[in-house]
Amino acid sequence: MLSQTQTPTLQACRSCGGGAPIDVHFCPQCTKILSLGRHGDYFAFLGVSRKLNLDEGDLEQRFRTLSRQFHPDYFYNAPPAERRASLERSSYLNDAYRTLRDPAQRVEYLLQLALPRAVEGPEGTGSQQGIPPALLEEVFALNEEIDEIRQLRRSGAPVEAWQTRLERARAPIEAKRRTHESELRQLSARWDQMVDAHAPDSESREVLGALRQRVQERTYISNLLEGIERELAQ
Amino acid sequence: MAYSTKVIEHYEHPRNVGSMPKDDPNVGTGLVGAPECGDVMKLQVKVNPTTGVIDDAKFKTFGCGSAIASSSLATEWLKGKTVDQALTIKNTDIVNELSLPPVKIHCSVLAEDAIKAAISDYKKKQTTAEKTEEEKAQPTA
Repeated sequence: MLSQTQTPTLQACRSCGGGAPIDVHFCPQCTKILSLGRHGDYFAFLGVSRKLNLDEGDLEQRFRTLSRQFHPDYFYNAPPAERRASLERSSYLNDAYRTLRDPAQRVEYLLQLALPRAVEGPEGTGSQQGIPPALLEEVFALNEEIDEIRQLRRSGAPVEAWQTRLERARAPIEAKRRTHESELRQLSARWDQMVDAHAPDSESREVLGALRQRVQERTYISNLLEGIERELAQ
Repeated sequence: MAYSTKVIEHYEHPRNVGSMPKDDPNVGTGLVGAPECGDVMKLQVKVNPTTGVIDDAKFKTFGCGSAIASSSLATEWLKGKTVDQALTIKNTDIVNELSLPPVKIHCSVLAEDAIKAAISDYKKKQTTAEKTEEEKAQPTA
């Protein structure tokens, strides 16, 4: 599978002075490892397209192959610039693979890459990136419920009393998580179709915006579930 | 990174925890959140309608120690200020007072956002209240 190689961006080979496409790792002219100056993003580096449903076996295979090619042991006797290049490429490869193999980090990385931060406040503030008020209300109410149950437990109420309530509090959060996950799956599939179809930016931005909202929900949902688990473990 | 003693003080003895009736026309409510860490912060102010001074402020925050301390400190500062003075509280003031480390600056930003949201909610209530007053004042000829 080819990645976005249409970009005219080049990297320069320090060994022979030739030019190389942004997503190759070895100079096409002199075959030397390229130092990590101008380089592609994690997707381009691993040679995959910017999709959310990546074939994880394929990704791992690519990682292993490149890992071997960059391995500093092979550059033990090489000139210092190549030795450094092998280290830099190895370390960038590790970051890229660690990020892309995890679906949660993958979508966050894609958003960072493809959807520049919405208008930031004048002093770099602006934490309010349009979190829907209804979501905040809901999260606040659920947090309050868990808080009340915690106080009930601490006040020495019988175990059954607060455990039943806790289980009841869990149901709507679990439901929310299921909705969240299915929406995330649908949006990811839509995004991948758009990548294949080379959809115009205006359309893909809408999907990315919706994806960002899902990502924003995620921490709230998992914090709430963790809160419940913590209480149940008492 | 260790919390400063002031943060711990506010965390262990938070000031003004609680809530006030949301529908009270003199109460402004701000509910804000930081999706990166999953924090939610509710801050409320009660304004004396004749003097425009904030008589009472309450908060409830679900989040880390710094978020709790930031909102606790904010409610302390809000009391006795006018609505316009309240808007001059900057997140950097909170950072300095609590010696927040760089990774916790967003907690102070959240508190500033909460103040602004609460004040703007109060102002919105006041204008709608004035409108209904005017409508009432219209003679039903």
